[in-house]
Amino acid sequence: MRSLQNVTWRLFARADAAMNRLYGWRFNPLYHSGALVVALFLVLLATGVVLLFFYRLGAPYESVAALTAQPWLGRWLRGLHRYASDAAVVAVVLHALRMFAQGRSWGPRALAWITGLVLVFVTLICGWTGLVMVWDVPAQVLAREGARLFDVLPIFAEPISRAFVGERPIPGAFFFLNLFAHIALPIGIGLLVWLHVSRVARAGLLPPRVLMWAVIGLLFGLALAWRAPLGPPADLFQAPGRAPYDAFYTLWLPLSRALPAGVVWLLTIAGGAVLLAIPWWARPAKRAEPPKSVVDESICTGCEQCYIDCPYEAIAMIARPGGTEGGRSALVGHVTPELCVSCGICAGSCAPMGVGPAGRTGRDQLAAIRAFIAARPLGARDVVVVACDRGAGGIVHDPAPGVRVWPISCAGNLHTSVVELLIRAGAGGVLVAACPPRDCWNREGAKWTEQRLFHDREAELQERVDRRRVRLIFAAAGDRAIVAAALREFQTEITVLAGVGAAEPDADVVRECDTAPTPS
Amino acid sequence: MSRLLAVAFVLVAVGGLAALSGVPWAAEPSSAAVIRLAWRARGERVQRCRRRSADELARLPVHMRQEEVCERGIIPYRLRVTINDSLTVNELVRAGGAESDRPLFVFDELPLPPGTYRLSISFDREEDPDHKKAGSADEESDRRETDVLRQTPPHLTLDSVVTLQPRTIVLVTYDDEGRALRLLAGPQFAP
Repeated sequence: MRSLQNVTWRLFARADAAMNRLYGWRFNPLYHSGALVVALFLVLLATGVVLLFFYRLGAPYESVAALTAQPWLGRWLRGLHRYASDAAVVAVVLHALRMFAQGRSWGPRALAWITGLVLVFVTLICGWTGLVMVWDVPAQVLAREGARLFDVLPIFAEPISRAFVGERPIPGAFFFLNLFAHIALPIGIGLLVWLHVSRVARAGLLPPRVLMWAVIGLLFGLALAWRAPLGPPADLFQAPGRAPYDAFYTLWLPLSRALPAGVVWLLTIAGGAVLLAIPWWARPAKRAEPPKSVVDESICTGCEQCYIDCPYEAIAMIARPGGTEGGRSALVGHVTPELCVSCGICAGSCAPMGVGPAGRTGRDQLAAIRAFIAARPLGARDVVVVACDRGAGGIVHDPAPGVRVWPISCAGNLHTSVVELLIRAGAGGVLVAACPPRDCWNREGAKWTEQRLFHDREAELQERVDRRRVRLIFAAAGDRAIVAAALREFQTEITVLAGVGAAEPDADVVRECDTAPTPS
Repeated sequence: MSRLLAVAFVLVAVGGLAALSGVPWAAEPSSAAVIRLAWRARGERVQRCRRRSADELARLPVHMRQEEVCERGIIPYRLRVTINDSLTVNELVRAGGAESDRPLFVFDELPLPPGTYRLSISFDREEDPDHKKAGSADEESDRRETDVLRQTPPHLTLDSVVTLQPRTIVLVTYDDEGRALRLLAGPQFAP
C-alpha cells in the first residue's frame, strides 16, 4: 500500500511540476481537481434544467436527436452537458488519486474519503441514467446490462430484462423512472458534497474564477466544434453494432458483459470494500502517528487565533476550567483530538506559544533552532531555507554553499519567532519554501504563513525584523528549478545587504514574544 | 515556447476528452443473428398438504399445533429447443420467487450464423415426482388449486423454418390471447 502510495505521489509530483511550469501554481488544474468537480456539477445542473424542457418521455431518442440537430441552442447545450459530465469524471478520479497519494484519507479525514467514494459511485450511476435517457444503441446496451445485473438480485418480482426483449414497447414507466433517478441523484450528490467538506473550515468549493471560466469556456468551445456523440436509435430486434460509447462512464461495460452477473457484483463489492478500507490501511502504526495538538491552558490568553486558523475546526473555545482568577481570560482553547490531523498550524498562530503538537509547538521550534544555530554559527551571507517536508523540502536537501536547510512538517507550523531568531542570530536571510497554497497538505498552511510573515496576521513577524531578509516562495515537490532560481536571486540580494543587518546572538525571543501572564 | 506548450496541452486534453466521449465499439461484433426466447408463463399452482402426526403435534408449542401444513408452488416446465434436429436447449424452468410461487420466466438468447434453420420448440409442464410420491403415502394428501383459464397450457410447441439475416434478432414469445408460442421478426406493436 505504501509503495503504491509513493509511486502515485511521485507521478503527481512530476505532473504538478510540469503544470506549474505551464500554467503557474495559481491555475494548475491538478491543484483544483476537487473544486473543479463542484464547478462542473453546477454546469451540469444549469444545462440539465434547460435540457429537461426538450426531453420527451414518449419519444426519447427523437427528442434528443432533434435537440442535437439544433445549431443555435440544442447542439452546444447537450454538448456542454455531456462534456462537462465527462470532465467531472476526470477531475473526480484525479482528486481521489491525489488524496490517496498524499495519504489524506485516514483519521479525521476518513469521513471525507468515504463520502468521496460514495460520491464517485453516485456520479457514475447518475451518468449511467443520463446515457440511458438518450435511448440510442449504447443506451440500449447499458439498460440491458443493468437489467441483467439487477435480475440476479432477489429484489424484483419480475425480471427487469423482460422490458427489453421486444415483445412489447418499452414501458413509459422505465423512461420516467430513469429520468427521475437522473434528477434525484444530483440532489443526493449535493448533500454528499456538504457532508464531504463538513469537517473542514472555509472549504474552497470553487476554483479560481479564471480557471473555472477557462474550463467552462473550453468545454463550451468543444461543444460548438464537436457535436456530442449520438448513436443509432435503439432497436431491440438488431444486435447492437458499432456505436459511440462514452468511455468515462462505460469503461467497465466490456468486462461486465463478459462475466456472469453474480461475478460482476462480487467484483464490484470487493473493489468497493478495498477502496473503503484504504483509511485503515493508510493509517500509520499507533507509535508512528503524529501527536495531536494540545493547549497549554496556563499559557493560553484566549485570543481565539488558533480557533480561527485551524483548517479542520478541531479547536473550540471553551470556558476556562477554574475560572478567571488572576486576570486570566474567560475562554481557553480546547483541541478535539478526533478532529486534529496534527498539522501544527495552531502552533504558528499562537503568539505566546501555548498550543501545538508535542515537539512542534513554538517553544519546541525555538529550542530546536537554537540547537541548529549552536551546531554551526550563521554568517551574514548565509541563507536558511525553512522548507516544508512535503513540498520543496524534499528537493533542497543538497543545497548550495552558504545555504542551510531547516525542514518543517508544514510551513503553517512555522512560528514567526523562529524567523526572527535566525535573523537576529546573524543569518543573512530566511527563505521559507511552502507548498503552493491550493496544494497545502494541511489546506491553509501556506496561506496563513504568508499572512503571518507579511500581513500582520497573528502570530505576526515582528515589525523590527528587516523584511528584505525574509522571502517566501511557493514550490511543489517537483519544482526544483523554481527553488534553485529563487535561492540564487535571494542570495544575490543578501550579498548586497551583507553588513547591513545586526546580529544579536543573545536575543531572547521567547521572552520578547511571550505575552501570556507568567504561570504561577 | 512555454505558452505554446500550454496551448498544445489544452488542445490535447480537450481533444482527448472529445475522443473518449464517443469511443466506437460494437457490443456484438460478429454478424451472428440471434433467436431470443422470452416469455412469461403462468404455471399450474399446486398446494401440497399433509396432516401432522400426533407425535409431531405434541412436540410443537400449543399455539403452533396446526394439524394440516401446506406448501404452495407452481409446477415447473421443461424447455426443449431443437435447431436442425440438434437439441440445443434442454432445461427445467422453475417458477420465480423464494417459494417458487411466482410466474415462470423464460429468457435465453441463441446466437446463430445467418442462414435458414428448422426450429422446433417445446415447453411442457413437468410433473414433480416428489409431489406424486407425497400424495401416495404416509397419510399425506394432495390438493391442487387450479385456475385453468389463467394458466399457460401444459404443452406448447412451435415448429417453424426461420431465415436469419445477419445481426437480426428473432423473438419467440408466448401469446397470452392465442395461448400459443409465436415468432416475431420485428416490433409487432404500434409505435
